[in-house]
Amino acid sequence: MATRPKTLLERHYALLGLALIAPTVLVFCAVIVYPLISAIYLSLFSIFTPTLEGEWVGLANYRELLTSGDFWSALRVNLIWTIGTLTLQIVAGVGMALILHQNIWFRSLARSLILFPYFVSTVVAVLVWKWLFNDLYGILNHLMMTAGIIDWPIDYLGMMPNALISVILVGAWKYFPFVVIAVLARLQTIPDALYEAARIDGAGPVARFFDVTLPQLRDVLVVIIMLRAIWDFKEFDLIFLLTGGGPVNSTETLPLLVYKEAFALNQMGMASAYAVVMMLIMLVFMILYVRRTRSVDGA
Amino acid sequence: MIRKIAFNLFAWALVLAVAFPLFWMLVTSVKPQFELFRRPPTILPETWTFEHYIGLLKETNFLNYFWNSIILSTTTTLIVVAIATIGAYSLVRFKYRGRETLAFLVLFTYLLPSVVLILPLYLMLVQLGLSNTITSLVIAYTTFALPYALWLLRSFMAGIPEDLESAALVDGATRLGAFRDVILPQLLPGIISTALFTFILSWNEYLFALVLVNSDEARPLTTGVMNMLVSSFNIEWSLLMAASVMMSVPLIIVFAFLQSYLTRGFGAGGVKG
Amino acid sequence: MADVTFSNVQKHFGAFRAVQDLNLDIREGEFVSLLGPSGCGKTTTLRMLAGLEFPTSGEIRIGDRVVNDVAPGKRDIAMVFQSYALYPHMTVGENIAYPLKKRGVEKAERARMLKDTADMLQLTPLLRRKPRELSGGQQQRVALGRALVRDPKVFLLDEPLSNLDAKLRGHMRAELIELHRRLGRTMVYVTHDQLEAMTMSDRIAVMEGGKLQQFAPPQEVYREPSNRFVAGFIGTPGMTIIDGALSGSPGAWRFDAPGISVEARHLGPDAAEGAASMGVRPEALTIGTGDTPATLRLVEQTGHENIVVVSIGDIRMTGRTTPDKVWSPGEEVMISIDPDMPHFFADGPNGKRLNAKPSPRGNEPSHSLSNLSEVSP
Repeated sequence: MATRPKTLLERHYALLGLALIAPTVLVFCAVIVYPLISAIYLSLFSIFTPTLEGEWVGLANYRELLTSGDFWSALRVNLIWTIGTLTLQIVAGVGMALILHQNIWFRSLARSLILFPYFVSTVVAVLVWKWLFNDLYGILNHLMMTAGIIDWPIDYLGMMPNALISVILVGAWKYFPFVVIAVLARLQTIPDALYEAARIDGAGPVARFFDVTLPQLRDVLVVIIMLRAIWDFKEFDLIFLLTGGGPVNSTETLPLLVYKEAFALNQMGMASAYAVVMMLIMLVFMILYVRRTRSVDGA
Repeated sequence: MIRKIAFNLFAWALVLAVAFPLFWMLVTSVKPQFELFRRPPTILPETWTFEHYIGLLKETNFLNYFWNSIILSTTTTLIVVAIATIGAYSLVRFKYRGRETLAFLVLFTYLLPSVVLILPLYLMLVQLGLSNTITSLVIAYTTFALPYALWLLRSFMAGIPEDLESAALVDGATRLGAFRDVILPQLLPGIISTALFTFILSWNEYLFALVLVNSDEARPLTTGVMNMLVSSFNIEWSLLMAASVMMSVPLIIVFAFLQSYLTRGFGAGGVKG
Repeated sequence: MADVTFSNVQKHFGAFRAVQDLNLDIREGEFVSLLGPSGCGKTTTLRMLAGLEFPTSGEIRIGDRVVNDVAPGKRDIAMVFQSYALYPHMTVGENIAYPLKKRGVEKAERARMLKDTADMLQLTPLLRRKPRELSGGQQQRVALGRALVRDPKVFLLDEPLSNLDAKLRGHMRAELIELHRRLGRTMVYVTHDQLEAMTMSDRIAVMEGGKLQQFAPPQEVYREPSNRFVAGFIGTPGMTIIDGALSGSPGAWRFDAPGISVEARHLGPDAAEGAASMGVRPEALTIGTGDTPATLRLVEQTGHENIVVVSIGDIRMTGRTTPDKVWSPGEEVMISIDPDMPHFFADGPNGKRLNAKPSPRGNEPSHSLSNLSEVSP
């Protein structure tokens, strides 16, 4: 597009706009863009964390990473965790949203209670769940034994596959409220006329769900799934605090691996390489999400 | 009628099941230590006690951590919301080259994993001599809080009719005058909502605190409380549950009085995109 | 003296040309409507005048001053928005007084001016309310009050009546006319409603596709539309436009279309043989007597007249008759077209009018036209 002579006023406005965005740009450059580039740069070094001294190794870190079992194992765990917890979040979230959309007693109180886990600190959530999971005095084992589901107390976090399942369940508990609120908001915008029309056409409750509700929810679900997939994939706190990656490394996801390399194994360069590769994997999701948001914005 | 009651009971059973861990946290925090190990466990405490809360405040560093968290989260929120408010105004209502790219960048950073940034940030802050300070955490928290706040506020800003600003301009206001007189009052609910989200996000942050701060002077609640768990010889669950409850106090306040702002923030940011 | 001038103004949004080659002189004290279908560039034109959009090229003047670089607040204009744009967090009084405050009018003076305006618009009892507590009509008055309070040089009104119901709209139309007469200020009024434009304006600027089609007093726009677009756009029921061809020579033109052949009188020097169209207003059509057979298709009884659609072959024409005539659809009737009344246009959707111009009339703004509101339905 050809540049055109702008009016003074227009130029004045553009300058003002730039001045207002300048703090954002400065902060972004300092704490996001610069570190991001540094991360890539660091991944080409072998750095000993306590002294922060290192030497150039080129792509050696990446070569080692791709041939080592750790990376592939962490990626596998990461995918199982993401898909597992995301699926549960979506199913539980949509279900609970449909329930809360009905006119139940004390609806707003119910909604607050459901929402709370999402906002509570991961540290709190983990402490509470660790107490619930406690093998000797935990209420969970007690309830399960009373109900006759198990004969002996279960070790929820110290054994496989229990540990991974527990992590996935706690993740679902903590994050499904996000889905509830998002779906609930969308449900409230579906016009009643659609349901009335479906009823006149003879659709029962199940048919109404599949023919009216679900198609209306499709768009918001796509967005939720992409967003939650990105957030679940990069989850660190919850898994780190619950199991620390253990037993051994059976719940170790990529973010945990980055942390371990950098601060337990003191391999800062290697850790950066892991972080960069992890970001590249996430980039696929991120680009999908950004593109979708843009097209929605444009419409 | 019966179906309605049955449905309500079913719904509430589910809601209570979801809320049970939080209920259990409260109950445990007011049980005396010996009652914790009773078999079968008591659902409601036989003896109520606040000794754990008193112990928490008197004998541990809890108050210190709490205070750190307050300063940290408040500072982060104030800085981030101030920058994001004018930034969002610029992104939504001004025309200049590169504006679209910038908006795209904001969204991108909003999704960026902290783990990628933490290593270089750690190096940077160590070199600046800021490690083990609250300042270092404020700087680090900006990396996730600013994109988040910008994204939310951008969406709120876009919801304010452009005609209002136009009217103020015609009525004799400058751009900044219109911003102050007309846009800011309209944006206020959005700003409150964004501030709450930013505050909660900072309050709950763990990873940066774990990596960047290694002294009790600057430690916030998240790492502080986890430290109490790790360092004690035998785990005092009642004490930890009391700490968890105390740690959730700001949240409970928000939930009790300002919940509509949280729901609004959801609509504007996370989901609508 | 011209009060508002657009000289060769262009406005492009990327590849879209919103306004092209606009030249417009609005006289001091004149009520001018910018009329056209949506997307014709009328609102963009108004917003450029307000300083809310920036012309890609060209010059805009208010009085003697070029205002391209002048901020909206310093142009000495006031504007009423289609959405009213009342500040939701301010009371009615604060809304109306806001422009005064921004101009540094001192407090006592501000209160006095606010009182005058509120009295004039009967808003005094509402001054302490918030805009959302008001009805649509009341909000409209507040928006008007905010514009009136500081007596600007030019008033800009962007479809201010479009959010009101039909009855209130008629009432506000009369009030605006009265207001214009009382204040004698220049008003630029954007609308897509030709009734508003016809009844209120001294002159109408008809726009389409970003271009000015005609700028003339309402009667002239109606009687001598400059081209086929204007002819079709103005008038209810609309003009029947029949595609056909002109043949003959100056002084002896004929217009032919399938089923119709008429003498084309009063053609000007631009007339030429070939494709052309003929426009017939309902009042040019006589139904019941004449020499051309037609079939009656539709009768709409409005009470004071009947609107009748007849067809000749594929051509459908609209006419009016007195309400006492009783017709039934499908009936064969004889019709005639008053040979002195049709308009002829060159080929194409914006084909120029080919009729000879009558002797030029006075160009003074004629306030008497405002009285049309009492006559119109």
